Amino acid sequence: MRFLRQLAAATAVVALVVLIGLAWHHFAPGTFGGQGGTGPHRFVVRGQPAAAVHRGVKVLPGVELNTGGTSGVLPIQLGDLLEPVNLAVLWNTAWIEAAVIAGVVIVDAGRRKLRRTRRAR
Amino acid sequence: MSESLPLRRVAARTRLDFWFDAAILVGYTVAYSYGFTGVVIHEWLGIALGIALLLHITLHWDWVVRTTGRLLRPRGPDKLIWLVNLALLFAMTLCVASGILISRVALPELRISLPLDDPFWDRAHTLTAEVTLGLVPVHVALRWRWIAGVGRRLLTRRPR
Repeated sequence: MRFLRQLAAATAVVALVVLIGLAWHHFAPGTFGGQGGTGPHRFVVRGQPAAAVHRGVKVLPGVELNTGGTSGVLPIQLGDLLEPVNLAVLWNTAWIEAAVIAGVVIVDAGRRKLRRTRRAR
Repeated sequence: MSESLPLRRVAARTRLDFWFDAAILVGYTVAYSYGFTGVVIHEWLGIALGIALLLHITLHWDWVVRTTGRLLRPRGPDKLIWLVNLALLFAMTLCVASGILISRVALPELRISLPLDDPFWDRAHTLTAEVTLGLVPVHVALRWRWIAGVGRRLLTRRPR
């Protein structure tokens, strides 16, 4: 019962954030400026052309990459990748996370040590 | 053959928190790496992360209530963590929500069609994803002493 009450409260908070997002879209749709989603995160669907993919990503044979031109469709297909060659993308994400974690831990440990030293005086 | 020693005793709830949070972190890291997963896994994993996020908040609801109540105290603890968590709540929720709105595979599979072709959600998804990549490791690192303590107890053997 307690869990359900807490789940309801958490759902209400998440719903509130979604509503804020929808309101943001409603009242300031031009926040990100410009038209059309041509950025590198414009993703691909099976059998549909992709606007772009991450740099360094291997594009499998058979997928179509839309380069923006009227006839700029290259023969490549993106579906489920999980190609070992693309592990670099995963390592890159893990690397960024590890670097930020290490930075915060070092700062926090240093701060605690400094506080202990001050108290000891 | 080496004799295996019993694992240290850790409360079931602490074990659940540790392994569930670890799974969320791994899932998030994989989902963020779109170039590795491809669109299908990216979308389904993103939806699963949305559900996991809801459960994560539910499991830590007591902390949310307790810390929010202490915010106005001049030397109340966890203020920085509370702020980081609030920012992460916004970024992660909007990331999952915008991801669902621009979904090209998962939603059609569920026979749901949203007549949305708005670059706003594309860009909101990109922006919030990048913000979460900065905030998730900070969220983890601010609890490094708890993680190190529980991790040590969970992964080391108890001497007989």
